[in-house]
Amino acid sequence: MKHLNLVPIETDVLVMGGGLAGCMAAIRAAEEESVRVTLVDKSNTLASGCAASGIDHVWSYIPPVHEKMGYTLEDMAEDHRVGTSYGFFRRDLFTLAAGTMYERVLDLEGFGIRFRYEDSKIPGGFRIVPQFHSVPTSFNFDGGPLKPVLTKEARRRGVQIVNRVQMTDLLVREGQIAGAVGVSNRTGDIYFFRSKSAVLSSGRSNRLSRNPTGFDFNTRMPSPMSGDGTSMAIRAGLPVINIEFLSNILGLGPCGNYNPNYGDPRNTVQPAARIVDGRGNVIVPRTQFYDWESLGQVKWTEAVRQQWLADRKAWRGARAGLVKRHASGEGPFFLDFSEASDEEIAYIEWSIRHEGKGTQFLRYFLGEEGADLRRNRQEYAGLWPREISGTAAKGLWVDKNLETEIRNLFGAGDEVGGLPWQASPGAFTQGWHAGAMAARRAKEQRSLLQPERETVARRAQMCDAMVNGSDGFHWKEVEIGVQNLMDFYCGDVRSEGLLKRGLERIEDAKQAPLRAENPHELGRCLDVMSIIDNAELVLRSSLERKESRPGPLGFVRADYPDQDDKNWLVFLAIRKDEHGRFNFAKLPVDP
Amino acid sequence: MGFKHIFFKEETCTGCNACVEVCMCDAFAPNPVKGKPPLLVYPEECWFCGCCISRCPSREQGAIRMVTPFQMRGSFQRDRREAS
Repeated sequence: MKHLNLVPIETDVLVMGGGLAGCMAAIRAAEEESVRVTLVDKSNTLASGCAASGIDHVWSYIPPVHEKMGYTLEDMAEDHRVGTSYGFFRRDLFTLAAGTMYERVLDLEGFGIRFRYEDSKIPGGFRIVPQFHSVPTSFNFDGGPLKPVLTKEARRRGVQIVNRVQMTDLLVREGQIAGAVGVSNRTGDIYFFRSKSAVLSSGRSNRLSRNPTGFDFNTRMPSPMSGDGTSMAIRAGLPVINIEFLSNILGLGPCGNYNPNYGDPRNTVQPAARIVDGRGNVIVPRTQFYDWESLGQVKWTEAVRQQWLADRKAWRGARAGLVKRHASGEGPFFLDFSEASDEEIAYIEWSIRHEGKGTQFLRYFLGEEGADLRRNRQEYAGLWPREISGTAAKGLWVDKNLETEIRNLFGAGDEVGGLPWQASPGAFTQGWHAGAMAARRAKEQRSLLQPERETVARRAQMCDAMVNGSDGFHWKEVEIGVQNLMDFYCGDVRSEGLLKRGLERIEDAKQAPLRAENPHELGRCLDVMSIIDNAELVLRSSLERKESRPGPLGFVRADYPDQDDKNWLVFLAIRKDEHGRFNFAKLPVDP
Repeated sequence: MGFKHIFFKEETCTGCNACVEVCMCDAFAPNPVKGKPPLLVYPEECWFCGCCISRCPSREQGAIRMVTPFQMRGSFQRDRREAS
């Protein structure tokens, strides 16, 4: 391959990662007059990030509904802190998400996303289902086309969208963001961005574990997301929290490629299935539904929360119990819709269609298999790789305005740590806020900083060596090697000895030379470099956290088997200093 | 023959390359012959989200289809009455 070109781009606000958070940040920033906004995505903003193929639910405090229940934002915060975050809670991030998501829903409606339905009995014509809180707080909506719609809105506001460029390095000058480096996975060109402010929103780290289906890219959450933001942040000296929580959170689940989200009787497809054993005995009953007819007649009380917590405990117990029952030979277990009405089946199919791989699930299940939701019970089994899930809330440590320790650099969405299951509300609201902040800072600053060119040159040289060198491993060899070592040394049970050995082995992976035959493979090599960085952080942080936490965090240290809230109910922050040494800090969770 | 799960219908695919552009995993490449269906270059890097199908302007005409790989098929009871 020929020598790599350098593409310089100057802008005011640079957004790195074009999922929900990045698109919202770019749209919001571009609403400010005379602010130039550039949005970079390693895929294409039309279909990238966790909402690539759609989402059908988003939680929020919903004033017109919750006020009628006598349920306040503070009540919801406490539900989230106790029942969903298990104490790992940042109140400021929660208040931003829950408190402003309803405004974002109205914005999304303005963009043409459908949230209201004629058959609804709920004020506003909404569909609202229970998810993470003691009363229903999640909108169900037609979110299939979210990404094309947000892309269009960004373009309409003049956002410059740069697709197929993956970000590799932050450029910092005197503690302030000055730009960033990226590499095109279509041309191999090196992109040299200069900007006055920036938003980092590259999402999760999704390829840290071997996939039992045999397809490495068949992760539960999108496989292109390889933790590039975390890798860049650590190399720039920023702290990252909660990264030790790589675990198997799911246990049993609907098996095969599809997790159409209809199977858990407590999930956001409501009404859902119940779980039965092979003889039809009910193991987990269907959800109890909210009685919307009586909305406003009965006020929410603390007793509602206590009942919900008890139910939730029982449900978690039932789920953990399933794994135990399975191990003792009681399986198989099935999702059973046999009692669902036609109306319910129509609703379930609608909901599945708008979420994740749902469109393809229906095509597969109804088309390829000629199956029927009511007659053909799906087995509850599941083959999942371990992941850093929404429960972990891994990511950047930011201040209340989402700013990092690098001035004018903001985090948004799953890039930010501290609020378990912030998921899409986190992305929508943090994206919006980070976009507003980044635009304001860009306006305050007269001219672009002059970043050092050494990082750009070094990155170009490294890429050049990978595409023009004859020796080296194919990216996939190294990726699988890293996944294997993570599964072995940093798996479901960890210990000091194993983790230390894992760190020695990760050094081998770091030293392994990579070779790329074309720009696409160059991109994958860069993915693998991010994966190695992320894997190292998981190993190091796992070694530092000297306790165990049961599911859903599922963090088990054989040498520290007990949960130790006194010392370890804290966000563990890891960072790398200028000498390459790793340091830890325990950051307090909010009461 | 290697693994393949996305199939194009030559007669209805217009070679617009919408799937090439939309694929988050960059699994396709445009056909060097203009107007011909794209090439599936990296099938094993697919996330199976199906955006290539749901965003295909000729999907109703069957221009593109996915056959779910065997090991990723669900497990379900074919007929409940028989099983019980």
